[in-house]
Parts: sequence; structure tokens; C-alpha cells
Amino acid sequence: MLATVGCAIGAQGRSEAWTALGRLSFRLHSIAVLGIVATLFVMLFNHWFEYDYVWKHSNLQMPLKYIASCFWEGQEGSFLLWTFWHVVLGNILLMRARSWEPHVMTVIALVQVFLAFMLIGVYVGEWRVGSSPFLLLREAADNIGLPWTQMSGYLSLDEFKDGRGLNPLLQNYWMVIHPPTLFLGFAATLVPFAYAIAGLWRQERTEWMKLALPWTFFGVMVLGTGILMGGAWAYEALSFGGFWAWDPVENASLVPWITLVAAGHLMLVNKRKPSSLFSAFCLTLVTFILVLYSTFLTRSGVLGDTSVHSFTGDGMLPALVRFLLIFIGIAAAMLHPERKQRALYLGLSLALLIIGLAFAIEVEAILLFGLLTALHLFQAYRKGFSSKDPEEALWSREFWLFIASLVLLLSAAQITFSTSIPVTNLMLAPFKQIFASLGERTGWEFLSKLSNDGLAPPSEAIAHYNRWQTPFAIIISLLVAFTIHLRWKQDGLKRMLRQIAVSIIISALIAGISFALLGYEAHELQQAMLLFTTVFAFVANAAYFGTVLKGRLKSAGPTVAHMGFALVLLGALISTGRKEEASTNTRSMDLRLLNEGFNNSKEILLYRGDTTRMGGFYVHYAQKRADGANLKYEMEYFAVAPRRYGQDDTVRFGGTLFRARADHEAGPEFLAQQPQFWEALERYNKRDLWHARPWSPTMPGEKLFDLAPVIQLNKRMGNVPEPSTRHWLTHDLYTHLRYAEMALDPDTLPDGTVTADDAWMPNRRYEKQAGDSIVTPTSLVIIDSVYTIQDSATKAMLGDRFTVRAAALRIRDLYEPDRWFEARPLVIYADGQPVMGKAAEVDALRIRYSLATNDGDQLGLDVAEREFVVMQALIFPGINILWIGCVLLALGTGMAVWQRLRNN
Amino acid sequence: MKRSHIIALVIIAVAMAAFIATLADSSTFVDLTEAKARPGKEFKVKGYLDKSAPVEYEPIVNANLTTFTLVDDQGEKCLVRLAKAKPYDFERSESIVLTGSVNARGEFEARDMLMKCPSKYNEMQGVDALGVEG
Repeated sequence: MLATVGCAIGAQGRSEAWTALGRLSFRLHSIAVLGIVATLFVMLFNHWFEYDYVWKHSNLQMPLKYIASCFWEGQEGSFLLWTFWHVVLGNILLMRARSWEPHVMTVIALVQVFLAFMLIGVYVGEWRVGSSPFLLLREAADNIGLPWTQMSGYLSLDEFKDGRGLNPLLQNYWMVIHPPTLFLGFAATLVPFAYAIAGLWRQERTEWMKLALPWTFFGVMVLGTGILMGGAWAYEALSFGGFWAWDPVENASLVPWITLVAAGHLMLVNKRKPSSLFSAFCLTLVTFILVLYSTFLTRSGVLGDTSVHSFTGDGMLPALVRFLLIFIGIAAAMLHPERKQRALYLGLSLALLIIGLAFAIEVEAILLFGLLTALHLFQAYRKGFSSKDPEEALWSREFWLFIASLVLLLSAAQITFSTSIPVTNLMLAPFKQIFASLGERTGWEFLSKLSNDGLAPPSEAIAHYNRWQTPFAIIISLLVAFTIHLRWKQDGLKRMLRQIAVSIIISALIAGISFALLGYEAHELQQAMLLFTTVFAFVANAAYFGTVLKGRLKSAGPTVAHMGFALVLLGALISTGRKEEASTNTRSMDLRLLNEGFNNSKEILLYRGDTTRMGGFYVHYAQKRADGANLKYEMEYFAVAPRRYGQDDTVRFGGTLFRARADHEAGPEFLAQQPQFWEALERYNKRDLWHARPWSPTMPGEKLFDLAPVIQLNKRMGNVPEPSTRHWLTHDLYTHLRYAEMALDPDTLPDGTVTADDAWMPNRRYEKQAGDSIVTPTSLVIIDSVYTIQDSATKAMLGDRFTVRAAALRIRDLYEPDRWFEARPLVIYADGQPVMGKAAEVDALRIRYSLATNDGDQLGLDVAEREFVVMQALIFPGINILWIGCVLLALGTGMAVWQRLRNN
Repeated sequence: MKRSHIIALVIIAVAMAAFIATLADSSTFVDLTEAKARPGKEFKVKGYLDKSAPVEYEPIVNANLTTFTLVDDQGEKCLVRLAKAKPYDFERSESIVLTGSVNARGEFEARDMLMKCPSKYNEMQGVDALGVEG
């Protein structure tokens, strides 16, 4: 495989014969890659666990549909997927690129060589190049030298009869389609990159854009869809409570998308008038380099402690760094118009690389290389691109497109800065002392921070990114709104204002109504502004579609895409900014009495069998069921209905017992209704008060729906909660378990229903004496006495062999003053051994006491609460705006690509 | 001055601001000794769960409080009050990163926690032992 690709590079670009050879070798390479992909699939399908990759990523119980996810779960598989897409795109280019073919294919083949290196897995001396998915278990790096590798029959060891299986989080249908889409998007960025290099090579500095444009927007569409699919997966299967968390891995795919969008728009500008050629080149080249950089970030293990789902390094860091540097070098070199300079620059870079390697001062070498590249680029700009042409008109479309691209670039740069903090640490390592002394002298804290190699990502990461990206989003959506109303090459301020005047008014109205509906306050100025600008962007583009394009769908692609983009921003803004914790402080008990920590509680505690008020619902935790590897916690949701009380009903309110005078419907306030409907009882049995239900204005009404948040049991990877979400048109209710008891009764019924035995949490054992007291989380227990039950009926029933011991307990509710209960747990002894017990349950406190052992005054008391779960429930309003926006964005971009292909 | 120069200046200014602000927002990794030396200041601390000490989580009393003991790489120990529910499989965690600060009582008040689960190769060691026996 390596040879074929190698041939392709050498060949292309010279004469017909060489080109033909190159073409042939790329075809051979394609067949080889397809063969490898097919082989890996066969291995996974047939569970050939002697292969390390199969053993690590799949197992026997897994549903067939997730075999695909296994394929790309691992490092090697995802590289293979990437290579595969390059092959597909390369073959399309072989057919379509015509005279550009040799140049473009050279670049693609070169990339393939490097990717192949990642997969080849051979040792050059001590240094392992890449890792192959076809390693046998006994050959895997971690296993070499372990004694079992010498055994001939090691596959019959229990450990190897079944694979370790797929990470439960990835067993989701989004995970079947998200990675291929994302990698197709990554692969698509290579094509504009290749065209840009080819354009520089052939000295045709504007021609390439026409050819690269459809590919660029194809990339925008696919990569964008891939990213948002990742968001959808996170929203459905992960329990961090949202679709986007600014995780380094997410950022690493978002940044190339942003620069790709910017590059595409700059190409549009320069296709008409080459006024900002240099930026167009740079952004196109940078996009692919950022793809490589994101691969480096996520695959090399450099993120280490900063991301939840970063890959382990597997020793790929050096190879990835070199891969990245080589492409930066090539791209930068090509930008210079003069051959001599190119050669000089490449020569110097190579020298630096060798010096760095030889003297083990790679970090310094890389920094010097960066400096050299910057100088080289500056010179390239001076020599090749600075123009003396008059500047474009201020109110022309190209000028504002240019500005928009720069804003996008800045936004991408900010995300990259913050994500790359671990890399910054590595780069700054040699200069720690300098920064430290500078910091001491100047007293600037940020300098001493630089000296500290423990620089960590922002601790409020989400807030940090939101604070920075919101202004960028405001500017971008404003630009999206009006730029399309400007004309190419003309000053068109007045015309533009005329066209958008109505849109401004409409958007202001909509935004005003939304502010009122969503309750925006003065301190949320930024969010409110973004809300207005995104609405404006949507309306203005819709107006453009209606008035200027007169509803012609043929050229509506960009408009539709912009409308979609505006909706994505709007949906993200509303659903995250107006996210509500439905599960806050909703227990029927006054939580502030419980614990001050509960005031800020975001979670609700649900006892099995209880029905509890939560937000606009009543939730009933009905039962726990086993469903394959999943434990389902079934919750029923009921409407909130006003409670009806009948005559003579008794309720407890503030330590007093009341009796209803007449049938009535409860109002919101007890005190308002009390004189009319409730009579305070002056004399009553204390026990009646303790057992009476507290007054409440509402009760569960009709049943609305069920939700069943899940915990996926997985012995190897750990148990993972999966949320369960109810969707409406305007909002979603998103619930997931924060804490749950996972023990199942071994005698689970055949249909998966759990029997009553594990309706209790595990027992806590207290070893005490009569007269002692115990504080449990909800109760105070006083052990009054322990005694033998000696009544004649018991004696007659059990005979002389058995003695029955009982404990007299007095129990106080910890959270309500003066609320007492009694309990009498028993234990039966036969010939000195405890054989059976009878627990005492206090239903009002949802607690069970059982006497386990008793020896004289000594006793072992087991206390268990009724089984409960801790659940978090979030309401995401307007999340459908986001999903509709995604569809429009993809659709519009697709339309634009289609239109461009037809025009070409 | 040409318009493009103005734009370039604005861009450089914003980029610098972003870079400095990122540094300012960034927190720092320290060990427990240093975190204890500067109570009240927020840090990130790397370490692992002390499995000999109890992990306490009483959801009925407070669903958002888990207490446990952290040992850092230097072997320094500290009681941690994590303002979150006890994560699944906490006892199996291999290393943890806490965000928070040391309070007046010398306990680490953690606002956030990142947990790394056992590396994939733990079981291999088990297999290793098995191979020796068999």
C-alpha cells in the first residue's frame, strides 16, 4: 500500500506517462484500502478475538447494528475511516479534475502516505510508526513479554473467549452515523487544500477557487452536519445536560468548520475580484492544517487531564507532530511566489527538524520553525500579494464578507487558544525560568502564570467560551443579516437600508415579545442582543428570499443556509440560556428545614412508589426493570390537578391537625381557606397527628406520559446513566439519574419486573445496646429495651426450641419537630442461632428497622430506607429551533453546492 | 491610513485581548501542599482516591455532597467535600482532577471533578497472573 502511494507522488505532475502511472497506483491504493476496510469488518462480524482490535472493541452480546461503531471506536479504525473517505473523494477527483488532476492528486496522495504511516505499525528501531488494527493479541504492545503470550492455547483462556465490548456510551445510533459524517467532512477539507496548493503550483491564483468552491461548501455541509450529530448524540446519550459543552474534542471539530466557512466566503469574494487573495489562500490552507491539528490534539494524548473523552496516546505524539509540521511547512512554502525562497525556507525548516531531533531540543526547534514560518509568510505577502489597487467600496458585499471572514477567524482563534492550553504548557516549558523572573520583576500575575507549567484550562470552561463567543456570534449574525442585501462592487448603503428597514422593525417586534415571554433581564444584555441579531438574521434573509429572489428556489441556497445558521444560534441561545431545572426544590417537605445544601439542590429524590411534585408535573417512581444490559427506572408523569378534600378529611398543617368542614377544592393558600373550610381540632390523639398527611393544594391528575432513564450496566467500562427525554414542539423535558441503587434481586421475574425485595436500599448495621440512640439520615432512633416475647400464644405456636426477641424502638422524624413513631422489630432464635426476623416498617418515614442479632443487651440493628433514586430534570426550551436550523443549514448549503456544480 | 491597516490593528488588538484573557481565565494545576498554603484560592488538583478512607454520600441528607479523601502524587492527603452527587463507579476511578479551593478548616471544597476510569489494560495484569499459574 505504501509503495503504491509513493509511486503516485513521484509520478504526478511531469508527463502523460507518469500521470498515467500515478493514476494507476492511486487506483491500486484504493483497492487496497477497500480490502482493508472489508477485512476489518469481516473480523468484527465473526468475532475473531485473536485480533487485539476486535477483542478490545467488540463482544458477543452486542447488537449487530453497533458493529459499525466498533469499527471506528479505536484509534486505528478511525484513521482507516478517514483514509477511506480520502480514497472515495480522490477517485471522484480522478474523474472530474481534468487538467488539474496531477497537481491535486499529488497532494492527496501525499496525505494518504502519512495516514498510511499511522496505520502501518512497524518498528523502526525503537520507534513504532503508527499502529495497525491487525495486530494479534499476543503482539499488542502492552502484552509483549507477558507469560501467556508464550502459551499455544491462550485463546481458550476465559479472558479471550469474549471481547471487552464497546463503550456503552457509544452504543447509540448517532454513533453509527456521526463518525463517518464527521470524517467525510474532515476529508472534504482536503480537497480545497489540494486545489489551493495546486493553484499556487500552477501559478493560477484565482482559477482554483471556482473548482474548489463546491467542495468547500460540500465540506461545510457535511462537517457541520457531523458536528451537530455529535451534539445530538451528546444530548441523547450523555448526561452532562446539553448538546454542547465546549469540550476540547468538540472544539477540535468546530474550529475547522468555522475557518472552512470563512475560507468559502473569501473564495466567493476573490472569484470576482482578487482583492484579498492572501487571506483566501491562508484560510483554505489553515482549515486543513487545523483538521490535522485537531487530530493531533485528540489523538496524541496531549489533552490528558483536560477532557473527558480524549484518546490515550498510544505513543503517537511524535509522529503526529511531525505530520502536522510537514504540512504546515509545505503550505507555507507554496505561498511564496519565488522558487528560490521556497527552497530556502524548506531547507531551513528541514535543518531545524534535524537539529531538533539530534540534540533533543525539539520544542525550541518547533518554536524557531514557527518564527521562521511567520517571517516567510510576511515576505510571501509582500512579494506576492500586496496590491496597490484602490480599496473596494465600503458598502459593497465583498468588503463585508471579508470582515465576516476575519471575525470568524478571530472566533476560531479564540477557541483554539483556550483549547490548546496543554500544548502551550509544552511549548513554554523551556522558558519557564525567564517568565518566572520577568513575572517577579514586573509583578504581573499572568507572567508568573506562564512560568507555571501547571497552566490548566479555564475552570468555568463553558462560561469562558460563552463570554467570548457571544459577541462574535452577535457580530456574525448582524453581518449575516445585512451583507446579503449589499451588491458586489458597488456602494449600496441606501439600497441596503431600504431593504432591511422592514426586517429590522419585524425583528425588533419579535425580539421584544420574546424578551417578555422568556423573561430577559437587564443584566443579560449580551444574550438579549444575540437574540435580536439572530432573529434579525433570519428575518432579513427570509425577506431577501421573498423580495429580491422573488421566491426562486434555484438560487436560494445561501439564503436558506443563512436562515438555518441563524436558527441554530437562536436555538442554542434559548435552550441553554433559558434552561430550567425542573427538579429544583420540589419535595413535599420543606427542604430548607432539611439541610441548607438543599437550597441549591438541582436534584430531586424519588422514593419507589412515591408520587412527588416536580415542576409542572407529578412524578411517580413506579418500578425498576432489567432490560438486557440496561436497568430502566420507570417514571410516570401526571398532570397537576387541584386537590379536592371531602368533609371530615383530616390534614396536618404546621403541627396542628385540621378537619374539613365541607367538600371543597383546595386553593393555593391554606390560610386563606382555613376559616371557611377547616376546623382546627383542639383535642386529638398525638398519633393521629404524626400519621396525618400534610395539607397540599394539588394532587396528581391524569397520567400524561412515561419516561424511563436508564443505567447501562457494564462491568468493564463502568455503569453509565443514559437520559430519557420527552419532546414537545416548544421544549424538551430531559431527565437523568444522578444516583441510583443498581442492585437487582437475583430472583427477578421473567418479564424483567423486579420483585419487592430490593425495594429497599442496602441495610446499614448498627451495633448498639439497649438505651442507646442512633441517628440515621432521616430519623433519630431510641432503643428503649430488648426483651423476649413470652406470651403463651407464641410459645404454643413455635415450641420450645425457639425464642423470640424484640426491640422496642422510639423513632423521631429528624426534620419535623415532635413527630414520633414506634417500631417493634423481632428476631427469632433457634438453639442460639438467629434464623428469621420480622422487620418493622415506618411508612411515613419510608424506613425499615430489622433486628439482626441480639445477645443480652447487645443488639445489631439493620436500618434501610425505601429504595430511592436521585434524578435531575432539565427543561430545554426552543431546542427544536436548533434542530430545524441544522436541517435548513445542511439543506441550504447542499442547494448552493448543487447550483454551483451546475454552473461549472 | 488605509482601511485595511485599521482592520489589521483592530484584529491584532482583539486577538491579544483574547489571548491574555484566556490566560487570566485559566486556572493552575497545583499539588495539595500548595493548595493548602493558599486557602480560598481556586486551583485544580490532580490525585487519586484514598481507598482506605471512607467515601460518604447521603443523598437523603444532601444529594449534592460527597466526601472522600484525596491523595496527591506527593502522598499528601486531604479531606474533600465535593458539591456533587457521587459519580458512578467512583471507587474504581484511577485518577481524579478536582477544581476548588481549600477552606478554613483545611478541607478541599471541590466544585467540579473530572474522573479517569481504569485504563484499558488493568485486566491484562489479571491475565498475567493467571498465565503464571496455568
